[in-house]
Amino acid sequence: MSLYLRQVGVIVWKDLLLELRTRERFAAMGAFAVLAGVLFNFSTDTSLVRPQDIAAGLIWMTLVFDGLLGVGRTFHMESEDGALQGLLMSPAPKDAIFLGKTISNFALLFVVALLVLGVFMLFFGLEIGSSPLALLLALGLGSLGFVALGTLFSAVSAGTRMGETVLPILVFPLLVPMVIYGAGATGRLLAGRPVAEVAGNLRMLGAFALVALAAGAALFRFVVED
Amino acid sequence: MSFTGIRRTGVVLAALGLLGLGLVYYLSFFWVSTEASQGIVQRIFYVHPPAAWTTFVAFGIAALTSAMYLWLRDERLDWAAQSAAEGGMVFGTIMLTTGPLWGRIAWGTYWTWEPRLTLTLLLWFIFLGYFMVRSSTENPDQGKRFSAVVAIMGSMLIPFIHLSVIWFRSLHPQPVVIKAEGPSLPGDMLTLLLTSLGVFLVLFTGLFMLRYALEGARHELQLRARRAAD
Repeated sequence: MSLYLRQVGVIVWKDLLLELRTRERFAAMGAFAVLAGVLFNFSTDTSLVRPQDIAAGLIWMTLVFDGLLGVGRTFHMESEDGALQGLLMSPAPKDAIFLGKTISNFALLFVVALLVLGVFMLFFGLEIGSSPLALLLALGLGSLGFVALGTLFSAVSAGTRMGETVLPILVFPLLVPMVIYGAGATGRLLAGRPVAEVAGNLRMLGAFALVALAAGAALFRFVVED
Repeated sequence: MSFTGIRRTGVVLAALGLLGLGLVYYLSFFWVSTEASQGIVQRIFYVHPPAAWTTFVAFGIAALTSAMYLWLRDERLDWAAQSAAEGGMVFGTIMLTTGPLWGRIAWGTYWTWEPRLTLTLLLWFIFLGYFMVRSSTENPDQGKRFSAVVAIMGSMLIPFIHLSVIWFRSLHPQPVVIKAEGPSLPGDMLTLLLTSLGVFLVLFTGLFMLRYALEGARHELQLRARRAAD
């Protein structure tokens, strides 16, 4: 068991180190978050809708698009120089590789989620609402479910001719629960409603993330086998 | 059963299904009584739910045979999954076109975010992804594995998707056939609905077997071509 955790840990460490040194994906995702906030601001007529009424939905849609941008390239750098073959041939079980990749993607996406939240609070003049902790929990659980699906299907799309083009078609239908419960919780929390009102949402987000993680870990070996 | 046998049975069943479809159309236009509140438009009822149920059966078969394919790696399971998924796309498209037409008259709107509508639309797109990954891989075996993963992941998350969209209130009629108190439909309507369901399932099974036999024949052709080349 401890060996398994160490294998997962090594992959997480390698990916995060790579990201820290190149800052490739974070730079792109961070810039995307800010620019999406700018465009959403101009696409909203504030004489018709109050920004705080639609902010939660926009936050989650930005997170989804931004997540696809980054998570879609999970296997890109490695497959370019053949390092993916090496990783897959290593004695680490395939699910350990999947979990390592998912955790490092999660770390990246969660930081981006915080940035998205900050950008929208700044641009749309939002208050932090009733419970910052519950808000972080909603973003965290949503991001976890997202990266579990995103990591699995980015391995699928990396093996197709269409590449990242096919990724939204595979992932979007499955993301419906995450968007419904996530945006629902975020909207209510930003509006200052009590945490008890979103406890159900948070539980469903957690269950969704768990199922996506378990299914992803079980199915990943069939995607990368040769 | 040999492939020739499967193909013959498929042809017979598909022909029976098409004949039955003619009968269903005849009965739903000239025989069954007109529903009191919706009038003539309600006759689409004898096409829409049977198409929907057939779609769910087809996608169920596709998900199940996909999982078994990944487990047993028998080519035939993959042919079955692909054939069922194609059938599901056809009947799903029928369901998704008849639904809005009926909804426009009965509810006053083509589309509403009702749980079952949303579920079937998303299911349709999941299987669109199934065919997209399948057709865009260089290595056919990879395509089979990828599409199986898509089908399994889709079927595992479907309950979540359904639960989450139930959050939106429901406009779709409550079940009228399968419920505790027994069917609440008038006799002739129920008879025609169940006849139509039977016809749709026979047609689907016929198309499914034809498609399966085609895949088998293609496989055999490749084998023979390879043997001839050696």
